[in-house]
Amino acid sequence: MSRDTLVIERLNKSFDEVQVTHDVNLALREGERHALIGPNGAGKSTLFHLISGHYKPTSGSIRLDGKEIGGMDPASVNRRGIARSFQINNIFAGLSVFENLRLAVMRRHGLQFNFWRRVSQLRQVNEEASDLLQKIRLTAKANAVAGDLPYSDQRSLEIGMTLASDPKVILLDEPMAGMSHEESDYTTGLIREITQGRTLVIVEHDMDVIFALADRITVLVYGEVVATGTPQEIRESARVKEAYLGEEA
Amino acid sequence: MMKKLLIVAIFLTLLAALPALVAESMLNVSVQMLIAALFATAFALLCGQAGMLSFGHAAYFGVGAFATVHAMNAFGGEGLLPTPLLPLVGALMGLVVGLGAGYFSTKRTGTYFAMITLALAELLHSLAPHMRGLFGGEAGISSFRMPAWGFEFGSITEVYYLVLFWTVLCIALLWGLTFTPFGRLVLGLRENTNRLQFLGYNTHVLGTLVFALSAAFTGVAGGLQAIHIEAANYVFLDAHISTAVLLNTFIGGAKVFFGPAIGAATMVFFGHITSDLTRSWLLYQGVIFILVMMYLPRGIVGETLACYRGKAGALSWMILLWRFAGVLVASTGFVLAVELIQRFFSTDYKAERMADGWPSISFAGFDWAPFALGTWGLPLVLITAGIGLIIYINRRGAGQQEART
Repeated sequence: MSRDTLVIERLNKSFDEVQVTHDVNLALREGERHALIGPNGAGKSTLFHLISGHYKPTSGSIRLDGKEIGGMDPASVNRRGIARSFQINNIFAGLSVFENLRLAVMRRHGLQFNFWRRVSQLRQVNEEASDLLQKIRLTAKANAVAGDLPYSDQRSLEIGMTLASDPKVILLDEPMAGMSHEESDYTTGLIREITQGRTLVIVEHDMDVIFALADRITVLVYGEVVATGTPQEIRESARVKEAYLGEEA
Repeated sequence: MMKKLLIVAIFLTLLAALPALVAESMLNVSVQMLIAALFATAFALLCGQAGMLSFGHAAYFGVGAFATVHAMNAFGGEGLLPTPLLPLVGALMGLVVGLGAGYFSTKRTGTYFAMITLALAELLHSLAPHMRGLFGGEAGISSFRMPAWGFEFGSITEVYYLVLFWTVLCIALLWGLTFTPFGRLVLGLRENTNRLQFLGYNTHVLGTLVFALSAAFTGVAGGLQAIHIEAANYVFLDAHISTAVLLNTFIGGAKVFFGPAIGAATMVFFGHITSDLTRSWLLYQGVIFILVMMYLPRGIVGETLACYRGKAGALSWMILLWRFAGVLVASTGFVLAVELIQRFFSTDYKAERMADGWPSISFAGFDWAPFALGTWGLPLVLITAGIGLIIYINRRGAGQQEART
């Protein structure tokens, strides 16, 4: 059994009086694909925001390979090896598709305050951006303005940008939302391929995708972890059925 | 790319040959145009490329100018640096003040950012008249250009070449910056600061640096202005300087690199021509700005480029020509109306009226009776006809487009 990489302990988050995350405990094993499921408003996105540095936890700890990252700003979290995608497309809408990926790739090459090199001559960066472009099947649209792309293409771009920093842990927030069946199938394959050797946490509503991808599943209801287990265990868990049926009925 | 460089080369040759082609008074205006062009380009780095709208860039223009004047007066008038290098002092001071102001203002975005920049500039503007040593009180500080490197810097031609050199150098540097990783990140800052953070970039440092660079190049423009008029006073810090650069930038097109420079040069030239002809020239400038923002939101250069690249849809020369005719007719009517109204309410006319009833107003070689139908009817007819023509042409154009598809 592999070791734990991202460990969350007794994590709480409140907005004023409202507590949205309740004593969440979660230990991700290195290299596993872990799905977060739960009804709307269960706090899945909040958990992503807490891990990625968008929100600061009220209490509790988030550790990556033993080092505390809870409360760090998003840029620091990213540099420690956690990258995320967003539920709502969060791209550079006015720039070209290629430029979006190049900006995402540049950081890892330490190119932030560089005033003297021409971007067109950064071979390594441009090659990596081209590779990503090919992976997400957008090579033909490299020069299109990102904001003009169809919604599903923007979702793909979102994944491509998340991948660009070569992260240890990838958080994908509903990557397939709004995609057609064919696109969704392709993206499932893509995610399986790109998360080879990485740890994935994915929030997704499509159960087919979840069962096709996930090694383990955590069920979140009202900000609390109801169950964690293999897809088989989750499918058969009485508590999960109750929580889900109670919500959806 | 080759075509672009060729255009730039031709343009630069023209600028270099300008002193041989135009009169001295025109050269004077050209210096103003160059300084305004550099100022606008530096401003657009922040406002157009990084998407941070500053309402207080007069501060960095003024700071650059005052620093340069002090440098000119240093060592009993000998100067801190030889005259050709003095703009560096403006740049350095702009950079330092920009780092400080940028650190605080870029902690916020949008409206709050704009308000902080405005507040900082107004603070400086209201402090300056009280600080005699630093800003020379209300009178300001004057100086003299010292000869250096075999140049006298006494004639406008020499000043022109000095200003031309620095303007071209600075705009070239700013252009080069857009091709670098930093330049691209600046665009990212405008498009989506939040995502840049999640990609691991330190957006506050990035924002502060863009602000400081913009302030540094603005400081060069201020320094050139101080060298040109051999003085600096607190009017350099006035809000109208901040407004003018903003209007110039948007009239030219904030998001295209050469837009702000062309917009600024055009507006300074326009101001020079019209301020001699009419007292209402600021009104015309304002109306032009409003019309550009309403109908050419990408700015004059931005829209031209969009047409050229075919992004603005199919356009025929005939339609453009008809539209232009419409604008011309309506403008004639508008100018006629404004000029007549302005004369009608002027103190001169009031005095005449007191003396002998309601005399005719003379304008453009005609006498206009103040209560004749034609006097007010003609401008009204021209305005209506011009606008009507444009609307008609646009409807017909739209109809043809529809018929084709």
